[in-house]
Amino acid sequence: MRKNDSIIAQLDWPLFITFIVLLAFGVSTVYSVAYNPEHPNIFSFEEKYGKQMMWLGVALFLGLIVFLIDSDIYRKFAFPIYGFTLVLLVIVLFMPAINGAHAWIGVAGMGIQPAEFSKIATGLLLAKYISELSVKQQTISNVVGASMILLVPMALILKQPDAGTFVVFTSFLFVMYREGLTFDPIILSVINSFPGIKMKQTWVGSHFIPILFVAVILSVVTLLLSNVEINLFFFKASGYMGVIVTLIILALVAYLFVRQFGSKRDHSRAGVIILIGLILGSALSFSVGASFSSLAPHQKVRIELFLGLKEDPNGEDYNRNRAMAAVGSGGLTGKGYNKASVSSVESNHVPESETDFIFCPYAEEWGFIGVAVLISLYMFMLLRIIKIAERQRAAFNRIYAYCVAMILFYHFAINIGMDIGLAPVIGIPLPFFSYGGSSMMSFSVMMFILLKLDSQRKDVLR
Amino acid sequence: MNFDGRKYVIITFMLLVGVIYTVRIFYMQVIDDTWTLRAQEIAEKRQEITPPRGVMFDRKGRKIVSNRTYYNLMICENDIKHLDTAAFAKLIGWTKPEIRNRIYQIKKGEGTYTNPQNGKVTSNYQSIRKYPFIKELTLEEISKIAPHLEDFKGFTEQVTSMRNYPFASGANILGYLSEATREEIQQDRFYKPGNNIGRSGLERFYEKELRGIKGIKYIVTSAMNNAIESYADGKYDTMARQAPPLRLGMDMVIQAYGEKLMRNKKGCIVAIEPSTGEILSMVSAPSFDPNLLVGRRNISLNYPKLATDPNMPLFPRPLQAEYPPGSIFKLVQALIALQEGVITPESAFPCDKSVVGCHPGHNARNVAEGVQYSCNPYFYAVTRRIIQQKVKKGLYADAEYGLNKWFDYMQSFGLGKSLEADVSGQRPGVIPNAAYYDKWYGHHRWAFSTIRSISIGQGEVKLTPLQMANIAAIIANKGWFYTPHFVRSIGKKGALPPYRVKHRTKVNPMHFAPVIEGMRRVVNEGGGTARSARLDNIIICGKTGTVQNPHGEDHSVFIAFAPMDHPKIAIAVFVENSGFGGTWAAPIASLMIEKYLTKKIKDKAKEKRILDAKLSNIKELPQAIIAPVQE
Repeated sequence: MRKNDSIIAQLDWPLFITFIVLLAFGVSTVYSVAYNPEHPNIFSFEEKYGKQMMWLGVALFLGLIVFLIDSDIYRKFAFPIYGFTLVLLVIVLFMPAINGAHAWIGVAGMGIQPAEFSKIATGLLLAKYISELSVKQQTISNVVGASMILLVPMALILKQPDAGTFVVFTSFLFVMYREGLTFDPIILSVINSFPGIKMKQTWVGSHFIPILFVAVILSVVTLLLSNVEINLFFFKASGYMGVIVTLIILALVAYLFVRQFGSKRDHSRAGVIILIGLILGSALSFSVGASFSSLAPHQKVRIELFLGLKEDPNGEDYNRNRAMAAVGSGGLTGKGYNKASVSSVESNHVPESETDFIFCPYAEEWGFIGVAVLISLYMFMLLRIIKIAERQRAAFNRIYAYCVAMILFYHFAINIGMDIGLAPVIGIPLPFFSYGGSSMMSFSVMMFILLKLDSQRKDVLR
Repeated sequence: MNFDGRKYVIITFMLLVGVIYTVRIFYMQVIDDTWTLRAQEIAEKRQEITPPRGVMFDRKGRKIVSNRTYYNLMICENDIKHLDTAAFAKLIGWTKPEIRNRIYQIKKGEGTYTNPQNGKVTSNYQSIRKYPFIKELTLEEISKIAPHLEDFKGFTEQVTSMRNYPFASGANILGYLSEATREEIQQDRFYKPGNNIGRSGLERFYEKELRGIKGIKYIVTSAMNNAIESYADGKYDTMARQAPPLRLGMDMVIQAYGEKLMRNKKGCIVAIEPSTGEILSMVSAPSFDPNLLVGRRNISLNYPKLATDPNMPLFPRPLQAEYPPGSIFKLVQALIALQEGVITPESAFPCDKSVVGCHPGHNARNVAEGVQYSCNPYFYAVTRRIIQQKVKKGLYADAEYGLNKWFDYMQSFGLGKSLEADVSGQRPGVIPNAAYYDKWYGHHRWAFSTIRSISIGQGEVKLTPLQMANIAAIIANKGWFYTPHFVRSIGKKGALPPYRVKHRTKVNPMHFAPVIEGMRRVVNEGGGTARSARLDNIIICGKTGTVQNPHGEDHSVFIAFAPMDHPKIAIAVFVENSGFGGTWAAPIASLMIEKYLTKKIKDKAKEKRILDAKLSNIKELPQAIIAPVQE
């Protein structure tokens, strides 16, 4: 091996350092939130921070192993790994339920959550499957095949039930989208079954995933604002009218942006797309808002509770209300390390504040400055992973990198979103932060595999 | 196809989420303070520390109202482990069903909360919280229980304070405390459920002066409501401050003596220091031990008994009983007539029994003799001259003019209106004016002959015993008075401002001499109606009254002041259903004066006669459960 082929020389240090910094932030937050003055040592294994340190050690050890093993095995053994996790996902259903879910397999007094590891396995197999497809990808069988790789573990996870991980699996749809595997062939075959129509592709079909994503976000925002009275310059309106106004403003900005920087050919095309998008978006927002307003109060409450939009501080919305209070009370500079009064484990106002709600004590203790640093780190990490993905020679590596980016993005967006009232309360961990061996190990291994694949990218011939 | 452009869609999503989250969190943390307030609500508990109430001293510096430490036995269901109910029952002296019943009561007493969204009903009771299992245990009681509480996890003691009245007297003056009602808690945010509030007497009137300043401790609490640490190291905490003591003009020994004299009688004694208006004693008989109404246990046991007692021990007679004053009213009539100039000190009127009945053997030759003999026809004539002054044309218009003038004089004596002493619930009494009679008889349809019974303090005229005593004080002062009041100073401040204002009557001081001379003769000269009140070494000036009572035996009344030259005490004694004023009211007043001025009684026989007298059938009142502590 040449010297510059060593893992140290080829490692993507920006990503690796960001990853290590986030791990350090995470462990320090667990230490702060679960701090017990009787065991001040961070290595006290009676306490959660001691255990988390142990998991961190295990994760780093696994990372070392990953660094030492040739990266080729992930592609070669993607299917056995996937199969193994499926077996675990089946076994876990026969395990006793903890907190109402069959999510844990007990191993010598410790529990692991196979669902956490199934994300890696699914990512690996999806990368292998898509990378080995022929040039003519967009066939129904290919789309169905890729979808099946997702649907089998999703079905097993839903059976546990674990809604959070189930939702995270939809992140793979973005990976498929990036690789050109969309539901367009299915839509086309339906359209073309009508006599006299012969279409090669539909714009909506090929961008189906992001459009769906935008539509869902738009609907949720509309619902969020539907009970709010707002002042629009001259007249009062229901909150969802504000969404439409915002869409119009966004469309104008986007069009001006295209006019400024796009080529002449793009102008008319972008203009049409923006206009259609604006009309569809406004129509969606209007219909959701108007139909929601016309619902009977008790139906409204049900939907609001389902979406977690309802303020019921001591009842259904207990968790979110307390989480938001913890975050919101952080102020600009925070209450100081180990000073969280709402979300410390000891005070227990925010349940699960060392696992799913760990962003709360972090935001409470470090304030907006800390939050800005954290979000910047995550953003940097996500964009760096995409940069890494795009520089890969091997499609397998690229697709796997996208899987990692999208899984991390989902966890980041949903975990923090539920603490600030922008996402439904779904219990999923914040990567590298939340207390828990399975998530710590799975996210770390996922990252180490990516780093290893990237370090060997030049070994792969196109 | 090349799908590389699609990475920008994904990057856009990521950046959009990052930007939206950053803006949202900036808004939540830095701009909007809703969530900060909510966090305070959740995690920072204000712990209020109620200071012990202000204490009270009497005029001789005796502590007459103090506080005593009591203990609540608290229960915390979550902490209970393997409770040996039988042993616990034995320890606290209850039965097992009683314990179960009490726990049930506590749970039920907390009420329920109905979730408006889903109609779920949950109990407000939390098994992790402490609730008082037994309230208000004395030191003796808790000291029997506390050493064994280690064996009964979940039960703890909590210190609290309650009133203690070292002298078992003055209940009608001091009042009592009870837990604030929901309305009171809503009106005044000072009070929290379980806090006490003054319910009557001085405890009620001086509630704000006595309650002190609550201390506030901010603590960070857990969802289980356990205190974790003091918030910001106690930077914002304030200390509880006990209110400064109230110093009363009352003499507790005299008060207790008065209550002793009035035992087995109904009525009242009011004694005032004329020079200051300070009330020395105010007995409402039958009286009761103020310790009977200390704390929940006592109140629930004794209040119903007191409230349903036919002799009405809770009725504050000196303030609220409105009696016709009888002959003591003649003193005021004489003073008004002298001031109006319708008579002179030497005016004589025959004892003409054809106009109004009188006792035989006298003819009053001047005002002093009129007072001395309490001659009814004399004051009939005097009052007619006040009412019918022959100023206005026509008998009726003249009577209207005269009566209203008379009414103004009466008002200047504090009659016909509430005196506004520093105790709540005073009645104004009744002094009729022209409008009053117009309502009865019609305009210009009445004259003096119609209303003549007011001349001897009967008929429509009604006074409270406090007003009667104040008349004695006014005469002792020769025409002025301070509004009668109990509290001479609040901490280092003096009495409340209204009690530092000298009120002058409309009668010139020079007119008082003949009336006072008459009052001296009433007690000290042969033919006086209150010879039984005479003392060898102190000159008492007094006036008896016998109030006709259509419902039974006449009421006996006596007002007096002493010593004649430098009056130190003015007194009114009213004994219901006891007959002639000189028989009972006068000797009681005399004993009170002697006790106050000389601290001892010479004429033991007189004292014994009063103490032994059973003028009303008074039911034996309950004894306080908690014996008062002498301090």
